[in-house]
Amino acid sequence: MLQEPLKRKTHLSIALALVFFFVIYPLLVDAEASYLVFLFYTAFMYVTLSQGWNIAAGYAGQVSLGQHAFFGIGCYVTAITWRAGTAGYLDPLAMLMSGAGAAVVAIVVGLPLLAKLRGDYFALGTLGLGEILRVAALNGGSFTEGAAGISIPSDVYQSIKPYYFIALLISVLTMLSLWFIAHSRIGLALVAIREDETAASANGIPILRYKILAFTLGAFVTGLCGSLNAYFVFHIDTTGAFNLNWVIMPILMVILGGVGTFVGPVLGVFSLIAAFELIRLLTPQLHPIFSGAFIILVTLFLPDGIMSYLTGHKNRLLHKLSPFKWLALNK
Amino acid sequence: MTTFPSASVFFQVLINGVLLGCMYGVAAIGLSLIFGTMRIIFLAQGAVMILAAYCIYWMATLSPINPFFGFLLILPVFLGLGWIMYKGLFQKVAKAGANPSLLLAFGLMVLLEHVMSLIWSPTTRSVITSTSTSSLTLGSINISVTRLIVAAVALMATALVFLFLKKTMLGKAVRAASEDMSAAALLGISPTYVSAVTFAIGIALAGVAGVAACITYPFDPFFGFLFSLKALIAVAFGGLGSVGGPLVGGVMLGVLESMSAYTFSAGWADAVAYAAFLLILILRPEGMLGRRSIEKV
Repeated sequence: MLQEPLKRKTHLSIALALVFFFVIYPLLVDAEASYLVFLFYTAFMYVTLSQGWNIAAGYAGQVSLGQHAFFGIGCYVTAITWRAGTAGYLDPLAMLMSGAGAAVVAIVVGLPLLAKLRGDYFALGTLGLGEILRVAALNGGSFTEGAAGISIPSDVYQSIKPYYFIALLISVLTMLSLWFIAHSRIGLALVAIREDETAASANGIPILRYKILAFTLGAFVTGLCGSLNAYFVFHIDTTGAFNLNWVIMPILMVILGGVGTFVGPVLGVFSLIAAFELIRLLTPQLHPIFSGAFIILVTLFLPDGIMSYLTGHKNRLLHKLSPFKWLALNK
Repeated sequence: MTTFPSASVFFQVLINGVLLGCMYGVAAIGLSLIFGTMRIIFLAQGAVMILAAYCIYWMATLSPINPFFGFLLILPVFLGLGWIMYKGLFQKVAKAGANPSLLLAFGLMVLLEHVMSLIWSPTTRSVITSTSTSSLTLGSINISVTRLIVAAVALMATALVFLFLKKTMLGKAVRAASEDMSAAALLGISPTYVSAVTFAIGIALAGVAGVAACITYPFDPFFGFLFSLKALIAVAFGGLGSVGGPLVGGVMLGVLESMSAYTFSAGWADAVAYAAFLLILILRPEGMLGRRSIEKV
């Protein structure tokens, strides 16, 4: 955990340079025509979703398969408040309400699930939560408008830029809060719970409170993403909002990068999106097949993620290549 | 909400549920066996089922063989397929932990789904058998012959697995390994061999369930995930890792679904099943039939 001050400074300047690049990039190119701007927007969204899963699963060891439930709640809260006229276009209040809605559900459902269930049972329980909400939205009558879904008039759309910057802002804020949590007592408590729940509890850590905290924070940022997605697609239905992709893709990205690491998920997001886009360019027809094969190859050959290759004791790849030594990250 | 107008309607709905549940049960036993020894939630179970379904579809359209013989054909083929899948994919990844295994299963599911939609196109298919339209009549209750045969095959497959686990040395080793893998390894049971055998049986059972599904339902390449979920729920009802439990769990799920589809609506039946699933997970995580165990520290 402890880093040398010099290295920490280097990492901070790399991070600032990256954020600076992402801020000015859409201003330099024609943002509406640039596919890369859209890809970056998607990537920021997935950074947030990935870290939202990572904080509960990677740090605290509570593997949730129900993130699509929170994403869907975010979508529907935004769509319903807009239909009712209480929220405007890209309304920060509606977005916060969407996040809060997801957080409230996370607390209400998390209390019994996290208190009672461990490991795989918790994962199954959260998977059930996502499916219940999907079926409930499908049968919600005029409130959720069932299978047809809620349409938002799309004539308010002007530019991708606001989406881009909001997604960037959310992901930076998520990264910042994760950094502060990971480097505080809370982070230590979460890791202690992941490593040995019984020992953590014996050492006076209120395990349920910390698990709920991690789970709820993850749900909150996932809800924010859902809200932004609702504004972006203008049509919310159950298959889009409660799609399992919203839980599986972030998990894949985090595992590819490195579970329970700070930088790993970001690397995972960008390398996976790059790989999928490359496959899509080369073989537009076969791309879902290659995507499935890619997932299998990653788990076969990189089960501990990219980060383990950068920092692991066995394969200190960057340490072997001395010119890049200064880049090697501490976990 | 609709109430049952008479006892015979109630029994009709009940029997439909039991017959449906037998199919869930077979898939669930496979899932439960795999989970018991390897602690893998094998999400691709449903995709493997649909793969078997397409094999039967091909056999039935290209040759005059009766689809019911598919059970005999699928069983050995899928045993071998399961063995290859374990040796080629899961053996290495299982050591890395539960997360990569879950992901590998998901990747396999995506790959299978899209390969199937490439080979057989995404259109919905169905297999027509000689008994598709015939039904038995008991008093005022109608029982579909196809579903009855499917349920009988499901029960036979369960009985076979049960006998294997209880009466053979290898079966005993599988049971020992699912109770405590490290203790079993200390007694000379090879974890990889036992896992490979269990995995092969799990895949074969998915194959049997797939044959059962394709002669009762129309299907498409992406239909399997729903079955994976249903099988998971059935396993949770009966208790993770046990053998007879998942079949009973499957039947319970089938009855619950057909009862709630009748009293509420077909749309809400799934929600009722998931809600019952969550309740059981919270109140009795060891399943309705499982024994309570004290967690070892």
